[in-house]
Amino acid sequence: MGDTQQPQPAGTGATGAEAAAAELAEIQRRQEQVIKAVLVPVWYWWVIAAAIVAIGVARDSGDLAVQATVIPLAALVIAVLTGAMIPELRRRVKAYTPQASTRAPQTSARVAAAIIGMIVLVDGVILGTAASLHAAHLRYPGTIGCAAGAAAIVIAGPLVNRYLRKLMLSQARQQISGAPQAAGTP
Amino acid sequence: MSTARFDELIHAPTRLAIVSLLAAAQWADFKYIRDELGLSDSALSKQLSTLESAGYVEIRKRFVGKFPRTSASLSPAGRQAFEQHVAALQQIIARSQQDGDAQPAAEAAHGIPRR
Repeated sequence: MGDTQQPQPAGTGATGAEAAAAELAEIQRRQEQVIKAVLVPVWYWWVIAAAIVAIGVARDSGDLAVQATVIPLAALVIAVLTGAMIPELRRRVKAYTPQASTRAPQTSARVAAAIIGMIVLVDGVILGTAASLHAAHLRYPGTIGCAAGAAAIVIAGPLVNRYLRKLMLSQARQQISGAPQAAGTP
Repeated sequence: MSTARFDELIHAPTRLAIVSLLAAAQWADFKYIRDELGLSDSALSKQLSTLESAGYVEIRKRFVGKFPRTSASLSPAGRQAFEQHVAALQQIIARSQQDGDAQPAAEAAHGIPRR
């Protein structure tokens, strides 16, 4: 820690270890509060999943009127929700990313990799499942493919959230303690 | 690594909560801080003014459309003071653990000093 000045809280003469631990716990709780605030809520993934299933069902219905209505509507829901959610999250608070940290570029790359990886996974599940079912001449390939993709979203979305939360928390802890903690550890 | 320095200004519970929140953020909206900490507008303004006077917090006021929006961020000095305060807290715990290893009986007899 380097040079030290003796802690001397006013009125008490000394601060006990329990009080110090309580303060550190409070600090950590506030950090988690900020990190939670910058991540998309779980319900977001469920709405996106429902919209994707609607697209699949509309695709398999074969009804042009249904397709012309449901598919643009579902796409609009996804676009509007995503377009509104991200600025809203960024309007309230922006998580700290130390400019001088040598780990900052690494962290940004990890965040980008997690998000891109999830998009590739979901697209892969939808297209792979639908194409396989279509090739096997099974019924409702679009619906089943999109349902599989939706399942991937509701599972992977919160997992990505959790990963990003741990990554940011690790960086926040490193910022205050100088002791880096692996992203995979709680 | 930060030099350990216990900071009385940050130590106060409400200010500790504000500074801890801001330490994890590049900036935070006034309403966000108020809601997260369950403070009134006046209570938060007062604490932010105190921190701003100490040079720990920077207040930014701007208009989004017709609506004024206030946000706060930790200044470099505030961030440094926070890091030093955290280092001091960690040092207190480390010392207590060292003392505990050396004199468990004495600690049991006198208890751990509190705030």
